[in-house]
Parts: sequence; C-alpha cells; structure tokens
Amino acid sequence: MNRTLARLMSLLVVFVAGPGVVVSAQEVEQEAATSAPQAVEAPAEQVDDDRSALTDPEEAALDALAAEVASGLRCPVCRNQSIVESNAELSREMHRVVRDKLAAGETPEQVEAYFVSRYGEWILLQPQARGINLIVYALPALALVLGFLLARNRLRKWARTGSDDSGHQAGAEELGAEDERWLRDALRES
Amino acid sequence: MKKKQLRWLLPLAALPVLWLLYWGMGRDTYVLPSPMAGLQAPDFELVTFEGDTVHLSDLEGKVVILNFWASWCIPCRQEHPVLVQTERTWDDSEVVLLGVVYQDSRANAERFLAEYGGEWTHVLDPSQRTAIDYGVYGVPESFFIGTDGTIALKKVGPVTWDLVRYQVDSLLAAPLTAASATGAGGAP
Repeated sequence: MNRTLARLMSLLVVFVAGPGVVVSAQEVEQEAATSAPQAVEAPAEQVDDDRSALTDPEEAALDALAAEVASGLRCPVCRNQSIVESNAELSREMHRVVRDKLAAGETPEQVEAYFVSRYGEWILLQPQARGINLIVYALPALALVLGFLLARNRLRKWARTGSDDSGHQAGAEELGAEDERWLRDALRES
Repeated sequence: MKKKQLRWLLPLAALPVLWLLYWGMGRDTYVLPSPMAGLQAPDFELVTFEGDTVHLSDLEGKVVILNFWASWCIPCRQEHPVLVQTERTWDDSEVVLLGVVYQDSRANAERFLAEYGGEWTHVLDPSQRTAIDYGVYGVPESFFIGTDGTIALKKVGPVTWDLVRYQVDSLLAAPLTAASATGAGGAP
C-alpha cells in the first residue's frame, strides 16, 4: 500500500515536472517507501491540486504553447482551419498529441516535424520559408520594390519634362520626318 | 529604343502566372499527398475485439494490409467485398489483413461485420493515436506494408481488387528490399 502510493506520487511528479526529473522521482519513491503513510499522502494530494492550469503557471504556459503550435497545424478533415479552431474529433486529439509531446520535453519544432513526417508539409498552415516556398515570401516584396522603382523613375521623368516650359516644343522636335512633312503640307494648304 | 527592348518582358512575365493557373486548375484538390510511402511503418500496440494485443512488429516477415475503416463510412462498405476476397486469396502466414476501427464503437463494428462478413482481425484505436501516427485523414485508408516493415503504398479511399492484387503480388515477389538484402550478407 505504502509502495503503491509512493509510486503514484512519483508518477505525478514526473507528469507535472516532465521527464527531466525522472531520476529525482525515483529517489522520491525510494525515500517515500521508507517514510510514514501520512507523510506520503499529504504531498500527493497537493501535487494533484497543482495540476490545474488555473493554479499552476507552468501548466498554463504549456497549454498556451500547445495552443500556439496547434494553431499552425491544419485540421486534416476541414478546409483551411487549424486544429485549434476545429471541433473535429481528430483535431482535438491532435491538439492533445501536441500538448503531450511538449509536456514530454519536445520542442515546438520537433512537434511540427512529427506532423510533417506523417501528413506532409500540407499540415502546416504557413509554408516553411525554404526551397521553392521562398518564392511565396520573396515575390510580394520583390514586386513592391520593383513597383516602387518603376514609379519613382516615371515620376522623375515626368517631373523633369513637366517643369520645362519648352516641353511642347521639345515634343514637336521628336516628330518623325514623315509626320513633319505631312504637317508642313497641311499648313501650306490652309 | 529602350522601350522596344523591354516590350518582350510583359508576355514573359505572364508565363509563370499562366503556368501556375494551369497547374493549379489541373490539380485534383481532393488528392491528399502522403509522405509515408517508402518509410518504416510506425509500430503500434492495439487491442482486438477479443482483448488480445497486436503489435505491428509481431507481423514482421509478412505482408501487412492495414485498413482503417468505420461502420458509418459508406466507401468502406463499397471496398469490403475486395477485402473479403483478399482474405480468401492469401494465407495468414503470408499476408495479414488487419482492420483498424476508426472513430467507431466495437458494437457498431461487430454489427457491420456480422452483416457484411469477413473473418480477419480488427483492432480498436479509441484514442486515434495510431491513426494520427499514420497520418490518417479519414476512412477508408489502407497501408500496404512490406515484409521488412516498409510502407509501400498508402491508399486514400476504397481499394480495388486490381490494386490489392498488384500491391500484394509485388510485395510477395520482392521480399528483399535494399535494407534486408544487405542484412542477408553474402546470400547468392
């Protein structure tokens, strides 16, 4: 009985604090195995209470991180919804997988990589900025810069010719030889 | 003069846009890509209706058809006769057909099987963790797994008899893939 309780407590400790404390949890188990049952029961209850995201900032942080990672993952049975927005059974379970993996000490990148390895890059709502995908990121900026340069050149040219009072004359000078001949003929006739 | 030189740029700039439109419109948006083919099938531990535990690793050396299905799924009814034929065609020692019940209860699945027949093993995946591990979108989805545990094909939607026969025959005919062939060492 004493030993079962101790084991339960160590399990809870591992669950709350993550796998990093596995060694210390085993120590706790050994220690608890030799101590009085009352002493074991009390902290076990306390640990249980601390599991709520409402009271434990670590749990709340994990929830927030899980939601953040999950919001970048596409719901497989919806159209353009993240697994956070979706109420589909599969999405909710995927959200739990995200949280469990994070709780087990995986980084958000590792969690994303897991889903990409199973569902393909399609599962990411935002394409990764590498390879051919870079076009998606670079093209709008490139178009903006190109448009700006084009507009600037046009405006400069426009400003240059516009400020010159002899603009019309300069334009006339640019008439082709044939046009000029036609113009002269027309003036002569009138 | 400079303007004339640049004139050909306009249609040229339209080319990638036209190509993108052509590619985008010619693509079937309902076809879902899977990166799983060619990879090692993830191992699982699932429980049959009878309460026995099945690991994929227990089935190594056999061709495995992992079929995710549900009693509420209409295309599953459509493909069921093909699976019945699959079970009849190959022996258990060569080809294992394993049904994974997806988002469904054991009672519903058993009622379905009583109505449509089939004697192969089914396992339950109540947490859907195995389905997620296999990148399942919906049902039916079937994975053809070679004797060395490599996924040869993931079929989304109902399987046809031609597909099953071709896949199983080729997996049985070529049991030695690169990995297991090198493992065999100096085999002639």
